[in-house]
Amino acid sequence: MRHAFAILLLTTIATPALANKVYVSNEKGNDVTVIDGDTLEVLGSYPVGNRPRGITISPDGKELYVCASDDNLVRVFDPETMQELHTLPSGPDPELFVLHPSGNPLYIANEDDNLVTVVDTKTHKVLAEIPVGVEPEGMGVSPDGRVVINTSETTNMAHFIDTESFEITANVLVDSRPRFAQFSDDGSRLFVSSEIGGTVSVIDPATQEITKKITFEIPGVLPEAIQPVGVRVTADGKKIFVALGPANRVAVVDGDSLEVTDYILVGQRVWQLGFTPDQKHLYTTNGNSNDVTVIDVATNTAVKSIPVGQQPWGVVVAPN
Amino acid sequence: MRFLMLLAALAATPAYAFTPTPDWPCIQGRQPHLSLGQVWTGPPPPESARETPEIAALADRVAQRRLPIEEAAAAIDAFAQGKDAGTLAVLMQAIFQRIDTQRSAILGGISRYGHRQVALAERVEARRARMAELEAADPPDFDAIDAEEEALDWDMRVFSDRQQSLTYVCETPVILEQRLFALGRAVAAHLQQ
Repeated sequence: MRHAFAILLLTTIATPALANKVYVSNEKGNDVTVIDGDTLEVLGSYPVGNRPRGITISPDGKELYVCASDDNLVRVFDPETMQELHTLPSGPDPELFVLHPSGNPLYIANEDDNLVTVVDTKTHKVLAEIPVGVEPEGMGVSPDGRVVINTSETTNMAHFIDTESFEITANVLVDSRPRFAQFSDDGSRLFVSSEIGGTVSVIDPATQEITKKITFEIPGVLPEAIQPVGVRVTADGKKIFVALGPANRVAVVDGDSLEVTDYILVGQRVWQLGFTPDQKHLYTTNGNSNDVTVIDVATNTAVKSIPVGQQPWGVVVAPN
Repeated sequence: MRFLMLLAALAATPAYAFTPTPDWPCIQGRQPHLSLGQVWTGPPPPESARETPEIAALADRVAQRRLPIEEAAAAIDAFAQGKDAGTLAVLMQAIFQRIDTQRSAILGGISRYGHRQVALAERVEARRARMAELEAADPPDFDAIDAEEEALDWDMRVFSDRQQSLTYVCETPVILEQRLFALGRAVAAHLQQ
């Protein structure tokens, strides 16, 4: 008994080892690659079901959520052991989701049946199914947790969903094939990327008006290769990073002027982005070069490419 | 029925993907040409610069898919020692042009592949109609039915084999893009020094 207590005590002390592990979902490899955020070395890869895409972690770092698109459910793993804990119902073909800032519930975009499914992460029950536009894809949540944004690829809209009533309160028309929605940390701006339109719409969430459209031009790159997907904003709102798909670049946008200041060459078909908790590093998933690139946020430079599995799609870094 | 399913498979596409057509039967998006800026952040090649025979020979060699990428990178390393950024840009441009040309030829081939599949599907349909006619005839010509059935089986088999190969065929442009990107990294590594 005393022995068991000692072991318990040991494991409690050992938990800081979790900090800064990086989890990358590999769409074609059907696994998740785990990277040590300090040494930038791959720790291992673990099977997670069929066609893993969206990936996120609970605020306490105890549950890792993976959209297993071809299994039509969300699989939940222990981030420390990568053992499956349980699954969550998600509706068909879950692609991307967002977790409420409190850690519950989970809002999932179902591309095939034009719904956003709301799932309670504690009871594992579906709380609501919200009809949205055609081919829902991008998901974002306001920092106060009151509004969830869903973008629909074919309807070309950002839908504002009230998290209390599960009703759509506003629709904003954006450019073709909106992919991703991201709030600034102060909630004053919403960024929506349009893959085919080639733009990022900056929306004032209070008025639901588009205040600016960010466009991209890279010398020596044909415009059709510039396809904005993943977006991340630094906590101070001073830098916005935009993954530009087959342009193989991440654009850095100045938070004040909303003009592009840098185009960082990363890897092929750069798709999603994830900050470390201290925001010193930004990880990019590069689907065609099968690696992730580590960007130094202060200097806007690519510091390392790390080979992962087949077709990396999403990335999340464990909280501190 | 089996034929209908095959045809459906030709058209069926996951919602995330692009819709295949006879011109482009792949679920990957069709990018007619690559651009140098997708793989290169160094300076553009100087306007006066020409491919030297040495650069041309190196570009020819490393662009070949049968040369393992490690060997190609080693050949680039050997050449790039002490070369200025302009020379490296000329090398990069030379490699780019060769791989983009190869890739364009493959895109053309994929379109022809797509059209041949459609033509074959039409032929299968015609054979099925002919079979129905032969079977309805009174008295039926069993020899003709057997011959037609055999021809139909072969056409269906060729169709489905080609349909299975399509996955690999459609991956070829991506494989070339991966090679170009890896070669670009090898050349760019000498820029930063």
